Amino acid sequence: LLVLVPSPLPRLRALLQRCWGRLERGLWPGVFGGQSPPWGPALAVQGPALVPQGISDTGTPSLLESVVWMAAPKQRRTIEVNRCRRRNPSKLIEIKRNIDVCPECGNLKQKHVLCGYCYAKVKEETRLIRMEIYKKEGGPFNAPAVETVVLYEGEKPTEKDEGKRIIERAKKRPSWFVQN
Amino acid sequence: SGAAWARGLLSWARPERWLPSGSLFPLSCLHTSTSLQRIGKWEKKNRIVYPPQLPGEPRRPAEIYHCRREIKYSKDKMWYLAKLIKGMSIDQALAQLEFSDKKGAKVIKEVLLEAQEMAVRKHNVEFKSNLHIAESQTGRGRYVKRLRCHGKGMFGMMKISRCHYFVKLVEGPPPPPEPPRTGFEQAKEYVQQLRNRTLVHTL
Repeated sequence: LLVLVPSPLPRLRALLQRCWGRLERGLWPGVFGGQSPPWGPALAVQGPALVPQGISDTGTPSLLESVVWMAAPKQRRTIEVNRCRRRNPSKLIEIKRNIDVCPECGNLKQKHVLCGYCYAKVKEETRLIRMEIYKKEGGPFNAPAVETVVLYEGEKPTEKDEGKRIIERAKKRPSWFVQN
Repeated sequence: SGAAWARGLLSWARPERWLPSGSLFPLSCLHTSTSLQRIGKWEKKNRIVYPPQLPGEPRRPAEIYHCRREIKYSKDKMWYLAKLIKGMSIDQALAQLEFSDKKGAKVIKEVLLEAQEMAVRKHNVEFKSNLHIAESQTGRGRYVKRLRCHGKGMFGMMKISRCHYFVKLVEGPPPPPEPPRTGFEQAKEYVQQLRNRTLVHTL
């Protein structure tokens, strides 16, 4: 296989490269029909030195063949494609239809969840009761083995509360804390 | 009157006309703003004043523009919340945001409550529930690049993203939602487009 290296004039070289390219692609079939191609004098180099074939002897496989091929994106995803994916209805937030009004306080609540305001109210009162218990006990591991009863202002312990520990709260009984 | 208006428009550019000679230039009319106090376009939209309406015209609904800048949240994640509340009444929007688990939901709820209060106090809105969300958009805030340390002494650059949130409340009940476009409608539009074509250079 002879490979022609064209003569050193740059414009002629560019022209010859284009003509050669056209010939290779079969776009210029008329040249080889009649005369010989209009090349100038050029170097001819033996083929195999310039175009090495694949190494026929096996030996150890080269580094390129032993690497595991990983998946990688071939093309950059356009913003239109990205938008279609990000704004797909499955990715949008769904509107919740399980929101109701709490009958006690009038705030919004989810149907299967306690009202946040009422829960916070109860939590605060429980915290104050726990503070009273802590003051009465005086330290950890002092919890008595009897039940506890919380009494608010102006309440007396009844017969049912015999033997139970009594916690006093200096406040009016809240309407939601029903006394037994 | 057009010429007079043009003359009036151009005459502001000549300060010697509206200041007597020898007086001090009043500094109050100079608008000097540094980059920290730059008033955004959305804030300026609240300042437009329409001319009084004629007796026969229908009442123009009140529009309230409000925004919050440099929220520490991603604009793409905030966009989902903005898309959720677009077109809802303000009560429904507040309900949805209250029970949403996203971080931006709390911020947007505050913005909506602020805007509602502004509407009642300053923009002559009678009922605070009679508002609906006409537009809700997110914008990109200032990003900051920071170093993120990985193991083995490797590091990457991460960007701390911030966003802006813009909302426009309009007085009145929310508009009814558009019915989704059916295939039949799309086909009809396509046929109509084909029929609208004109043939050039023919008989």
